[in-house]
Amino acid sequence: MRIAVLRPQVPFARGGAEIFTDRLVDELRARDHDADLVSVPFKWYPGARVLTQAFLWRMLDLDEADGRRIDLVVATKFPSYLVRHADKRVWLVHQFRQAYELDGTPLAQFGPSPEDRALRRKVQELDRVALGEAMSLFTTSRNVASRLEASTGFAAEVLPHPPQELDYRCDGYENFVLSVNRLDRAKRIDLLLEAAARDADLDVVIAGDGPDRERLEQLAADRGLNGRVRFTGRVSETELADLYARCLAVYYAPLDEDYGMVPLEAFLAEKPVLTTTDAGGPLEVVSDGATGLVVTADPEDIARALGWLHGHRDEAAAYGRAGKAIAREVTWDRAIGRLLA
Amino acid sequence: MKVAYFSPLPPEQTGIADYSALLLPSLRERLDVQVVRRGARRPPRGTDVALYHVGNNPDSHAWIVDALRRVPGVVVLHDFVLHHLVAGMTVGRRDGHGYLDLMEREHGVVGRLLGHGVLDKRIPPLWESRPEDFPLATFVLEHATGLVVHSRHVRDRARAAGFNGPIDVVPHPAWPSPDIRPERVSEGVVVGCFGVVNASKRVPELLRATADVRRSHPELTLLLVGSTSPGFDLDRRLQRLGLDGAGLVREGWVDEARLWRLMDGSDVLVNLRHPTMGETSGSVIRGLSLGKPLVVSDVGWFSELPAEAALKVAPDEHEVETLTAALELVVTRADVRESMGAAAAELARREHGVERVADLYAAALEKAAGGGAVDDAVLREVSEAAADVGISANTAEAREIARRLAEVELG
Repeated sequence: MRIAVLRPQVPFARGGAEIFTDRLVDELRARDHDADLVSVPFKWYPGARVLTQAFLWRMLDLDEADGRRIDLVVATKFPSYLVRHADKRVWLVHQFRQAYELDGTPLAQFGPSPEDRALRRKVQELDRVALGEAMSLFTTSRNVASRLEASTGFAAEVLPHPPQELDYRCDGYENFVLSVNRLDRAKRIDLLLEAAARDADLDVVIAGDGPDRERLEQLAADRGLNGRVRFTGRVSETELADLYARCLAVYYAPLDEDYGMVPLEAFLAEKPVLTTTDAGGPLEVVSDGATGLVVTADPEDIARALGWLHGHRDEAAAYGRAGKAIAREVTWDRAIGRLLA
Repeated sequence: MKVAYFSPLPPEQTGIADYSALLLPSLRERLDVQVVRRGARRPPRGTDVALYHVGNNPDSHAWIVDALRRVPGVVVLHDFVLHHLVAGMTVGRRDGHGYLDLMEREHGVVGRLLGHGVLDKRIPPLWESRPEDFPLATFVLEHATGLVVHSRHVRDRARAAGFNGPIDVVPHPAWPSPDIRPERVSEGVVVGCFGVVNASKRVPELLRATADVRRSHPELTLLLVGSTSPGFDLDRRLQRLGLDGAGLVREGWVDEARLWRLMDGSDVLVNLRHPTMGETSGSVIRGLSLGKPLVVSDVGWFSELPAEAALKVAPDEHEVETLTAALELVVTRADVRESMGAAAAELARREHGVERVADLYAAALEKAAGGGAVDDAVLREVSEAAADVGISANTAEAREIARRLAEVELG
């Protein structure tokens, strides 16, 4: 089949959704489909730009390309699902969260003015119309499916996908906790730094880059963590696999995350994951005392939990191995089979 | 966001007053709602959007429509047929010309002539004899910046009447089922009918169908609750059909607590009407909350009730036969009553929960308050971009852009 995978692109940013869509195209091609990525830049501010930029997708003609029919399109994120196509399938990574559960939080985009309130509602209307046109609806996690149903009433099939392909292995359990994340406030890496400040035995490696990096580096300096916390910036796939292979555990505690590839990546390296009770998607795979630890989003609790893993390496390894069994269940064969069914 | 809320409220005894009393606490959790005192002429200063509840009763709603006509806003159209309201606000204020003008605007010269006939007392008042044929909704629609309606039926009628603004279909909120002991009036199967007793509630047809069913199923008891309209000779009809002895329990007006008890003590609720003014029924909503199987007329909002919860009777020449068959089914089949009742309760929970309804109101009001500015901004940016690349207005390309904007409800 000829399949277009649709991805809104924030120029110069690369995260889980980009990795997912690139991989999806590769996996479709590996199964003899003629797949390609269709990407349109997305900027969601100021004011009504979120709507006009979204509308760009509506003007695309993806019925055919170069005289040949496109059999189906797979939209992934807002606003790519605004596209018109007779066989539009949506594999939803997330909606435009500022219009939903992030509204009224410190991560909100829309203020209290009538114009901002109406903008938010317009985004919701776009979702109702565009998602309502889809031939089938999938989400990458139960968390995203629950949000979708609560906000639009649409029921979706939960269809997780495997994480990026790396040289996953376990080389041991060294004395550092790894964070792999884009550095922005929603990922709450500051909680990890505050926890490290409470436990002098805790070393931390923070892989990734993002707009919150300067603040986090300043926080680490303010807490006297220099020497115990290392900011690596963006790392290569080889370096990332090496960090996973060597770390004691992986910290992953974003606020109400959609899905989160990081826990599955950690599991494939046989590493336990520490997450929080309000982390959302990660809780679908991280079970307290089975594949990792789940604590409240409080630096004291996080420090205590990481200290426990530090002192109980056999248990940490057992959690990691249990996680690996779960991660291996998530395969591209199954995911693509359902997507194209 | 500040919302000025115009509505009758308790102790006024109207369905819309009850409705607002139910909705307001939940709406206030979402928006800064200021309830406007009865008789106020316009919204308070600083209001972002005004919400006007409009029904057909001039005593309750004339002051609200007066305010709407001064300051446009979002109208909750509880009835589509507003002839009685309009008559009260024109003829009732000695403004015969206003009435004639409205009749002519909606119904042409024939409308004007009929209006003259009414004013000259040559023909009966149209708001009593044929209001459904002359709804006069334009009187309100022309001042509405947006509409909230309770049914697709009213939405479609408003569109057909030329209303082009945003319309949100928001279900009538369901009262939580109170903690009561059901009051049963009979040992057998009780079919309850609640509301004003008159011909437009199809009481003559209901009585005939009841008499028919009772011949083979004397365990059926009809419970008729509500005041009798003047001129409707109920007693004579009952005598004629042999329902003046067994088979019928009659209650006049009852207070809210007893209403719930009697409804809960009924096995089936019947709520018929023809013609419809586009209204919803508080009795039906209460019935859904209680998880009661329903028999309704296949008209207006009632037609939109799911078949799993409501048997529908078309008001045609076979109305009595259809109604008889429907009653026979629910009287004889406990399993049908049970599954329909479960579907009714599920519908109340899923569609009519007051928190969901308040969410939908908040969405409608937020869109109404700032939506115009947002639409303008979107259209400005898209049209500027189109113009930049040489697409001018009234070209095929511009029409294509407009069509796609409309598809996703932008602009």
